[in-house]
Amino acid sequence: MTLFHFGNCFSLAYFPYFITYKCSGLSEYNAFWRCVQAGATYLFVQLCKMLFLATFFPTWEGGAGVYDFVGEFMKATVDMADLLGLHLVMSRNAGKGEYKIMVAAMGWATAELIMSRCIPLWVGARGIEFDWKYIQMSFDSNISLVHYIAMAAVVWMFTRYDLPKSFRLPVTILLGLCVYKGFLMELFVHVFLLGSWTALLVKAVLTGAISLCSLFLFVTLVHSN
Amino acid sequence: MFEEASEVLENMLKWSFPLSLVLFLVLVCPLRAEAAHEFSVYRMQQYDLQGQTYGSRNAILNTEARTVEAEVLSRRCVMMRLADFSFEKYQKALRQSAGAVVIILPQNMSTMPQDIVQQFMELEPELLATETIVPVYFALEDEELLSIYTQTQMSSSSQGSSSAAEVLLHTATANGFQMVTSGAQSKAVSDWAITSLEGRLTGAGGEDLPTIVLVAHYDSFGVAPWLSYGADSNGSGVAILLELARLFSRLYSYKRTHAGYNLLFFLSGGGKFNYQGTKRWLEDNLDHTDSSLLQDNVAFVLCLDTLGNSDNLHLHVSKPPKEGSPQHTLLKELETVAAHQHPELKFSMVHKKINLADDTLAWEHERFGIRRLPAFTLSHLESHRSPARHSIMDMRSVSSSLEGAGEATAGPHVDLTKLSRNTKVIAETLARVIYNLTEKGASGDLEIFTEQMQVQEDQLMSLVDWLTAQPRAAQLLDKDSSIVNTLEYYLNRYLKDVKRHLVRADKRDPEFVFYDQLKQTMNAYRVKPAIFDLLLAACIASYLGVLYLAVQHFGLLYGFLRRVTAPRVKQH
Repeated sequence: MTLFHFGNCFSLAYFPYFITYKCSGLSEYNAFWRCVQAGATYLFVQLCKMLFLATFFPTWEGGAGVYDFVGEFMKATVDMADLLGLHLVMSRNAGKGEYKIMVAAMGWATAELIMSRCIPLWVGARGIEFDWKYIQMSFDSNISLVHYIAMAAVVWMFTRYDLPKSFRLPVTILLGLCVYKGFLMELFVHVFLLGSWTALLVKAVLTGAISLCSLFLFVTLVHSN
Repeated sequence: MFEEASEVLENMLKWSFPLSLVLFLVLVCPLRAEAAHEFSVYRMQQYDLQGQTYGSRNAILNTEARTVEAEVLSRRCVMMRLADFSFEKYQKALRQSAGAVVIILPQNMSTMPQDIVQQFMELEPELLATETIVPVYFALEDEELLSIYTQTQMSSSSQGSSSAAEVLLHTATANGFQMVTSGAQSKAVSDWAITSLEGRLTGAGGEDLPTIVLVAHYDSFGVAPWLSYGADSNGSGVAILLELARLFSRLYSYKRTHAGYNLLFFLSGGGKFNYQGTKRWLEDNLDHTDSSLLQDNVAFVLCLDTLGNSDNLHLHVSKPPKEGSPQHTLLKELETVAAHQHPELKFSMVHKKINLADDTLAWEHERFGIRRLPAFTLSHLESHRSPARHSIMDMRSVSSSLEGAGEATAGPHVDLTKLSRNTKVIAETLARVIYNLTEKGASGDLEIFTEQMQVQEDQLMSLVDWLTAQPRAAQLLDKDSSIVNTLEYYLNRYLKDVKRHLVRADKRDPEFVFYDQLKQTMNAYRVKPAIFDLLLAACIASYLGVLYLAVQHFGLLYGFLRRVTAPRVKQH
């Protein structure tokens, strides 16, 4: 029966990606290989980030309960490399804005899914012991899909040469929020002592807000010309 | 998309097939997940004595947990707390062929009320007598185990009486537990050696001196071998014997007090299993050697069994001693010492004939009696069937103190003042016998063991503490165990000619057979019932359906936003 549970979590995590790929029309553009390339870029960027973090950031030696705000903030800043990676992927793809965004986001998110969720699900969900965290992990992967789409859209908008001046500020704010979303989430959990389901809900709401704003800005930008 | 994907994968697989095969095999192998809780469990006794099997036969376990209130108990692990334990519930579990029984004992037995402890002690022999193939385990309670028990209890008691909707809701929220033990099926231990130790103090003045033998068995017995600490029975006997060895070796080291009696000290193993150690020792000494102290002039044999408590003292005999014999002298001296020096002590002689038709012998002196050696057993218990002799509740309580103001603990335990008083009584009596004091006209009040020669209570306390710090069941003490080595070392300090004596069961017709797998680790895994997975699958399918619809109609959201932003653009 626990293999069944693994199947449940797996389908919960993977099917939305599949659905998104099919329904966004990417299949008509033969985008599979490009998505794989985007995924490879993701791997490369993560490797660089890890090396950088390992080399330059000392390990936290404080007490167990104290949360190192400054240290975690600095580590989150390194996540700027994600933005650079997304920009790199998008600049190499020729095509419409939406195509570039979707390809980059899909490839990036799928690579993250495979790398960071596959093994824990396989190892954990298959065991005899039941834990809600696997279902939560799968939901989280859905949320990250939306998050990466929003992030790719914001990066694309940021690099447009014809971005109106009034949009600069919101786009920059959104960019910052995207990068530090992880840090903000941990902050909330630590300060308000949220339970795991509540944290997931807050994360979903936050991601939803960011994506709505970026969608709004995107629509405005695209259809103002 | 699929054509591209398959092309790409085909290329990859061609040269990585061996790697993927290995990976597949690695991933498919079963894994051990982290358990909700892991704890040690101690299995009930399992042994064969003279062909008769006792105790629980089975050892492995992989079943769901339930408590006794549940209706269906078959092939489930039934959990019971000591406070709620009763023999009827236990039998109910066995009748319904439960998968296993786990009895949860409190960490600190002194928190249990007296009557529950008494009731359990009386049930212990009955638990062992009902031969069962169901493994019975004992576990010590801690917070997590208690929470597992309460959760199991809630779900068990609500099983019978609820509607389908309630059951459905229940499955989504409740936690079941799967109990799994590590370890294999129990099998007989081959070639187990029971060790006994002997040492002597030779008397002064030539050949053919009478010998006094002092015997105590050092192993303990209880319904679970790993939980039998045997404080009173027979830790007290061993402590007294060792203290006597120290005192008399001191007396014998001075020429003036070197008496004309040989003193032979014997610590026997396998005492709770019908005195196997003593039996073989007697056979070896009387049948197989040419000369031994036991063959010549034996004045009497005094066995010490359970002397750590109470103001009673009984001298158990199989044949009342004849007037004028050394045995009669011992009896008389005991009465004198008890009457004059310790008036609170109630001393009496108990006469019980040896009944060879019984499964097991009553007291240790009967082994000697069978070989026609005059023997007694000294004990504060009146009957050999007393539950205090075979109980896991017999523990050294932490709170007993030298000042005597310890809390009253529920089970049998050692009271240090009474133990040292009993030691003194025995020492004085033996001294009066070997120095012939009554004939020489010494009064009943004469105390020899005072001041420098006094019985040292700290010594007794540390001995009892050490003996009860670990379980001393015969199945756990092989010839290399630390207890046997320490006893040998201790005897070597005070006695001469300290020898080990091994007993191994006969190959073809073994008198005793021990089984292993007495201590295992049990894992409790949190599991959800099968219905839950189906429910979850249905929920996920509906969620995915909604998501699909949402993505299909994403254009609607897009159009809406476009319409919202369009008027603003037109205003430029």
